Amino acid sequence: MTALVEVQNIEKDFPLTGGGHYLALKGIDLEIRKGEFISLIGHSGCGKSTLLNMIAGLDLPTGGTVLLEGETVKRPGPDKMVVFQNYSLLPWLTVRQNIALAVDEVMPDLGRSEKDAVIDEHLEMVGLGQAGTKLPAQLSGGMRQRVAIARALAIKPKLLLLDEPFGALDALTRGNLQEKLMQICNEHALTAVMVTHDVDEAVLLSDRIVMLTNGPGSKIGGILEVDIPRPRQRLTVVHHPSYYSLRSEIIYFLNRQKRVKQWQARPHKVLARHGLEKVNLDLGFIPLAACAPLAVAEAKGFFAKHGLDDVQLVRETSWRGVLDGLVDRTLDAAMMPSGMPTWMTAGGHGGEPLPIVTALTISRNGNEVTLARRLAEQGVTTVEDYRAWLGSHEREPHRIGIVHPASMHNLLLRYWLAANGIDPDRDVHLQTLPPAQMLADLKDGSIDGYCIGEPWNFRAARSGHGVPIVGDLEIWSGHPGKVLGAREDWAQAYPNTHIALTKALLEACRYCADPAHWPEMGELLSDRRYLGINADLIRFSGQPGESGAFAPHGEPHHLFFGAGLNRPSRSEHLWILTQLARWAEIPFPRNYVEILERVCSVGVFSTAARELGLEDVSYQRQGIELFDGRPFNPEDPIAYLNDVSVHRDFSIAEIPIGQPRAMAV
Amino acid sequence: MTITASTPSSSGPLLWWKHHRKLILPPLLGIFGFLLAWQLSASLGLTRLPGPLSLFTETRTRELLLYPFYDRGGLDKGLFWQTLASLGRVAQGYVLAAVVGIGAGIAVGLNKTLNRAFDPLFQFLRMVAPLAWVPIALVIFQKNQPAAIFVIFITAVWPILINTAEGVRQIPQDYHNVALVLQMSKKTFFLKVLIPSALPYIFTGLRISIGLAWLAIIAAEIVMSGIVGIGFFIWDAYQQNYVSDIVLAVVWIGGVGLLLDRLMAWLQSRISPGQ
Repeated sequence: MTALVEVQNIEKDFPLTGGGHYLALKGIDLEIRKGEFISLIGHSGCGKSTLLNMIAGLDLPTGGTVLLEGETVKRPGPDKMVVFQNYSLLPWLTVRQNIALAVDEVMPDLGRSEKDAVIDEHLEMVGLGQAGTKLPAQLSGGMRQRVAIARALAIKPKLLLLDEPFGALDALTRGNLQEKLMQICNEHALTAVMVTHDVDEAVLLSDRIVMLTNGPGSKIGGILEVDIPRPRQRLTVVHHPSYYSLRSEIIYFLNRQKRVKQWQARPHKVLARHGLEKVNLDLGFIPLAACAPLAVAEAKGFFAKHGLDDVQLVRETSWRGVLDGLVDRTLDAAMMPSGMPTWMTAGGHGGEPLPIVTALTISRNGNEVTLARRLAEQGVTTVEDYRAWLGSHEREPHRIGIVHPASMHNLLLRYWLAANGIDPDRDVHLQTLPPAQMLADLKDGSIDGYCIGEPWNFRAARSGHGVPIVGDLEIWSGHPGKVLGAREDWAQAYPNTHIALTKALLEACRYCADPAHWPEMGELLSDRRYLGINADLIRFSGQPGESGAFAPHGEPHHLFFGAGLNRPSRSEHLWILTQLARWAEIPFPRNYVEILERVCSVGVFSTAARELGLEDVSYQRQGIELFDGRPFNPEDPIAYLNDVSVHRDFSIAEIPIGQPRAMAV
Repeated sequence: MTITASTPSSSGPLLWWKHHRKLILPPLLGIFGFLLAWQLSASLGLTRLPGPLSLFTETRTRELLLYPFYDRGGLDKGLFWQTLASLGRVAQGYVLAAVVGIGAGIAVGLNKTLNRAFDPLFQFLRMVAPLAWVPIALVIFQKNQPAAIFVIFITAVWPILINTAEGVRQIPQDYHNVALVLQMSKKTFFLKVLIPSALPYIFTGLRISIGLAWLAIIAAEIVMSGIVGIGFFIWDAYQQNYVSDIVLAVVWIGGVGLLLDRLMAWLQSRISPGQ
């Protein structure tokens, strides 16, 4: 496979009529291999059509170059034929004459009969052999676009460029044409670039999907490889395991772009008031029962009480949204899985290490592992059963859903599986899925089970699609669940705000810990701003007399407040670091002491607790012991790592995180 | 209409009348009312203009009306010949205007600089009334015939030019893109894209111009003595106080103008259908 087209560091700047200019695209690099089908996807105005036009030579970049077979594209030409969205057939010429016009211009050396043969061949190819003498106005939109495709293919372009080719067509016609195009592309090994805003179309047709960020200065936000084998069928492709993860990846990307755009459209002045550096905050969360303290702090006025006058709770659909919000600073702080601060600080998210601080553990426990009902029906009710079942069903893929690699669900699930003789990477496949999608995947059988927080396990049990197999109380009772996280440079820039936020949430945590408040919290969280589900599906603990994974020992399932529960614990975060390294999410940092010191804002927590008069919660939690009884010695994490039996090839490395610096305000 | 067409046998004319009454009756009544009011005001002596009946009562006029094809030599010819002479001049001036107007319009439409250079001039000149061109034309050409043709030309050229230029500017970017991607030759682009695409605009200009040209010829001929033409015929009749002749000539002028406009509309529908 050789590169047919090379787009090198393209930039496009449009002069505006009222003076000034608009930077549409910046720093676009793309290689298109021969025979490849590429889709460009992004929101309106992201410059995807501009990029296509520059590949076509209809528009020239203001910086960078486009190479076709090593030669700079300077002008349009028939070797890079374009199929336009609005067909661009000449209405005064018949279908045949339209194609003939192209063939005559591009292949002047052919004889009349040879030209006719080319035209006939391509009319037949798009199934319009009978329509040659009709005028475009006599054809439907779908037929016109087929003529345009025939015209494009008749001149044998090296590269076929399609600008939202099916955008103006009804769904049925679009589907048929997509299949037709796919078939033609396969048969003739065409290289094609298509602009689209249709996610399903992109996944169906493409080998790679290029996602563009919003302008000004649009960049390539990501490139997805579509690993669905060809030939593809529109109706069967949706059953391929990659289909929905690709689809949700694109939709996540597009939603993220939309959110950034909305955020940019709002004014972002830092409001300083009441001796706080910033009182207008955007806090990220995802809808789980554990987000109760944030909802309570908003509803009960704890934010306002501590001077934070304008706190917006921003609901994300996945932890990745929270992560991206912190990276691009659209969020001030967020509720996050307890593994995320160290994971991001160590650069686990794939970028530069981004120091994150946590001053508060918001919740503990609240997670279970649920297996699909179909497994229970085959007698799988314990982990031993599951291990045996895996042994007898080796050939099938076994996927278990997790919400994020840095979440406690992942780490506890892996620990539990490994301790029970199931390798979490080799025997099963752990797949990151948005929480809201897991139940649907459990229903249609594409995953064996999942590990997640409430209300998703109770919902699965209640609806009969899943059976809880183990609760976290049986794996590590009292493990940290969700924490408050913020960028270190944010915390440095707004220290008093950070304390106020910690105080507000700590007070909310205290409120949430009282079982008398649980029915009210369930009602509150059932609001569509938070979970948007029926209040009786939101539970913070098992019911009296209940047994099983929800309440094995009669302990409350969610812990929100109490002695040693809320203080950020360095040894817990160290345990998390060892687990992240054990599964090769990050190298184990040689400078782990520095990282833990920076991540755990114990000082902020202590100040907050003292100012609230809650010194007793400040005491430090001791000892970490999981269900298998293996001791964890915080003094020697590397020895611990070397000692665990199941692990990936982990490395130990210095992770440079620089000096603490305040964000430029 | 489709109903009557599909059932022509079911009590034929009566049903046809039933369906078309609303379309036919009002214009008939309007015209009849107008003629009646005119005739009454003439009969009552409210105006010295003779009434429509004078076309038949005056012997001279009746002859002109009934024998449009007589030719006694010199200026004494039937109204058909008078009209034909005027039409001949219109045809020459109009064809010249069409050739120059379409040519210049395409040039101006394609070239922005050219457009900027000449547009103010065009806008200025097109506001000059046809009659004002007559003395200038006479000074330039010194003879009646070429002067009359020049007046037709200068009146008719602007709508054609401006509409053609607009038509060329309005060629959709898509068609330009198609031409660019196919690397079309200039000739192909001109014949296969530009002309067909601008044709509706060109015809709009041509249709406006034919009316203007016909208006202008009458005005031009009135002041150009000693030529055969319907304009001078009116002037001559006025000099000799044959007022009813003038009325008859006006009917001819209106009728011919209407015919010319219909002709252009028909031509347009034949050449660029349904765009």
